[in-house]
Amino acid sequence: MKRSSPVAASLAVLGYLVMIVPILFVVATAFTEGETLRFPPEGLSLRWFDEATSYQPFTDALLSSLQLALLATVLALAVGIPATLAIMRGRLPGRSLVEGLFLSPLILPELVVGLALFQQLMLQLELDNFQALLIGHTALLLPYAVRVTGASLVLADPALEEAARGLGASPLRTFFTVTLPVLRPGIISAALLSFVTSFNNVPISLLLQSRDFRTLPVTMLDYVQQNYTPIIAAMSTLLLAATVVLAVVAERILGFARIFGGINR
Amino acid sequence: MTTAAEFVAVSRHFGDFTAVDSLDLAIREGALTTLLGPSGCGKTTSLRMLAGYIEPSAGKIMIGGKDHTDAPPEKRDLGMVFQSYALFPHMTVAGNVGFGLKLRKVPRAERARRVAEALELVGLGHLGDRRPKALSGGQQQRVALARAIAIRPRLLLLDEPLSNLDARLRVQMRGEIRRIQAETGLTVVLVTHDQEEALEMSDHMVVMNAGRVMQQGAPDELFPAPANRFVAEFLGYENFLTLPERGLVTVRPELLTVAPGDVGGGETAVSATVRSIAYRGVEVRVALDATTGAGGATTPLVASLRGDALTPEDRAALHPGGRVTVSARPDHLVSLAG
Amino acid sequence: MIRSRRIALALLLPGLALLVGGVVAPSLVMLLSPPRVETGEVLDRLGRMLSDPYDLEIVWRTLRVGLVVTAICVLLGFPTAFLLARSRSRWAGPLLALAIFPLLLSNVVRTYGWLVVLGSNGVVGKTLVALGFTDEAPQLLYTELAVVLGLVQLFLPLAIVTCYSAVAQVDAGLDDAARGLGAGRTRTMWSVVIPLSMPGIAMAATLVFAGAVTAYTTPYLLGGSRQRMLSTQLFSYSGVTLDWAAASATAIVMTILVVLVYVASTLATRTRGRIQ
Repeated sequence: MKRSSPVAASLAVLGYLVMIVPILFVVATAFTEGETLRFPPEGLSLRWFDEATSYQPFTDALLSSLQLALLATVLALAVGIPATLAIMRGRLPGRSLVEGLFLSPLILPELVVGLALFQQLMLQLELDNFQALLIGHTALLLPYAVRVTGASLVLADPALEEAARGLGASPLRTFFTVTLPVLRPGIISAALLSFVTSFNNVPISLLLQSRDFRTLPVTMLDYVQQNYTPIIAAMSTLLLAATVVLAVVAERILGFARIFGGINR
Repeated sequence: MTTAAEFVAVSRHFGDFTAVDSLDLAIREGALTTLLGPSGCGKTTSLRMLAGYIEPSAGKIMIGGKDHTDAPPEKRDLGMVFQSYALFPHMTVAGNVGFGLKLRKVPRAERARRVAEALELVGLGHLGDRRPKALSGGQQQRVALARAIAIRPRLLLLDEPLSNLDARLRVQMRGEIRRIQAETGLTVVLVTHDQEEALEMSDHMVVMNAGRVMQQGAPDELFPAPANRFVAEFLGYENFLTLPERGLVTVRPELLTVAPGDVGGGETAVSATVRSIAYRGVEVRVALDATTGAGGATTPLVASLRGDALTPEDRAALHPGGRVTVSARPDHLVSLAG
Repeated sequence: MIRSRRIALALLLPGLALLVGGVVAPSLVMLLSPPRVETGEVLDRLGRMLSDPYDLEIVWRTLRVGLVVTAICVLLGFPTAFLLARSRSRWAGPLLALAIFPLLLSNVVRTYGWLVVLGSNGVVGKTLVALGFTDEAPQLLYTELAVVLGLVQLFLPLAIVTCYSAVAQVDAGLDDAARGLGAGRTRTMWSVVIPLSMPGIAMAATLVFAGAVTAYTTPYLLGGSRQRMLSTQLFSYSGVTLDWAAASATAIVMTILVVLVYVASTLATRTRGRIQ
């Protein structure tokens, strides 16, 4: 009975091969000694890791990406959490409309949003590209902030808050001593998801780039276009390692599948 | 007397845990057999092995005299009623009941007739077009029963079928299942943890614990003569005491007599102190500490008395701390093996 | 409960302002009447686009790639999700995590691997030569196949996760019940598991399709200028040729594609729900 179907199992194996194998080739080629991207790699060395970490456009872009992702995440949570509370706990008219509006950035193509922001924030309102990027990324992250914290608010019993009020706590105190701790797993999930989403974003970052401020993925894409050296493989391997660390941390804190799969086992 | 199905030295391990330990059991054709025991005793695992949902780690499952150990569930032709009912929510009631017939390629007209027949049998003839979600728990249970019966299975397997019903409905369904069994002549295996249910419904009951059969037999053989302390406790015996001549014996609370005063020992009379009294209408339950050993060792006993048979003297003695004598007829004592 | 409506509004307002000012309003303005473009020019360009064979080919390619990628992702993703959701093996958890992990990884990193696999010095080409199928490694990069492969890799995790949630919600007891009534594994899948997971499968297909027709990184790296898609074309208009009207027209086509598929899937799920 428990023997699984050979057809389903073969399809699953094929799926995993497509998902994972290309990534393994990136890692394998990063350790080459040769000048070009080829497999099997010629010799074994760490030279491309040295090159990647000392190539200034990459290090600058990495700092820019981190800065942008952190700021956008903090900002998205700062405006997103109060908005979630208002949507879930406030008796507002048109609640489902507002909720739908907060999820709309998920539906609009990011490239379209990027183009729109470029035309209107940068060309019309003459904002500098960092401001435009911050606005674009924050807006892009809002759905995650609202949906993920909202999901943990749904699980929280409103009677907890009522009980705290009944025991004499002010609304503000109730929020900080009861609501916020209940929301903490949701907030951590939302923060991790937001950070990763912003850090990895290409379409918006691509359209709003400038010479002075470019994110790492956009810089890497640009480099791939001009050069065929394994430096990108090395940089990719470093990003992969950082992502693995992040995933392990996420697993330790809350359970990986719950955060990134939205799955409650 | 023929055997419909048989477990031959069947074991099942889950990691280090042994759920079923070398089970030998014959299921009698045309009878209702219950597997009774506390949770984790292996009764559901055994039923699921019989149905083909769990593979035995060792041993053989025989159905209709043929080895079915490796057969998948769909090749066994058994009707199973799940504890959760497992009705297909995307099909109507008739769709659910007809599903097995469709798979057996029963022609449409014949199928409609048999679906109606099965629904009629469980008293739901008028609800064929409904969705399962629109039915009450009791009705869903009947649909599950009709679905299992419609395929005319070799055996009907019921996994705790009544545990999700409220108390009144549960008692009513016991009779219904017996009636349906009598009408169809089906061989039924029922898993339950409720000894009352098992006693009332079974032709043959099998008491299990820790993956093994503790005792089996007809209810009227088994109830008066539990083989060991586990079976006795599970069937509701509460008093256990070791007598010098007879070893461990048990006696049911309603078979004890309590008299005021301290008349001293004897084979079937001991002196005791009243610990507490609970009035339950007609029944008066008295918790006692009986002096059973040298040096004042005591054994807890429970006596169930009829309130309307108590004399004023009895009532006077029945207060916490009161001294009484507890006795039983020798033939009411059941000797237990360990 | 927040009793005062004024407080609730105050909590909502900053987020709402950011959302409307940062995404909704600019997008609508750009789609409907972009600045620095003569009125009517976008519609005119849109009209030309839908009659120009080169532009039309890009629309068709995008649509075709989107559909093929969606079909493959569902075909591979649903069985994977089913096995993961139903397995009691201790490997199921780690394998699920392995399927989710790529969602955290940069698209650039994920897609870059295909350059190694499919490139002129790549594994596939060399293997074909070594096995004697061809004398010279075939050009695999900058083909539609490469784009499809890259997009499948990109969106398969999304398909698996979405289908997993759907299958996990279907009571495994229903599988058992169908088997007990005589349905084999395949029949159980088609009569019970798939119909009951349909909303999730539809959602997975919608997300994959919307992602595939708007993705930029993968078509850019694996399709290049030879296999232009709407996304790479849009960037080329806005970032290279600075043709705003054309960029807006492309954006309109892309948005319509995505919105249409969302609306269709919402309607389909809702109708189904009503029937049930």
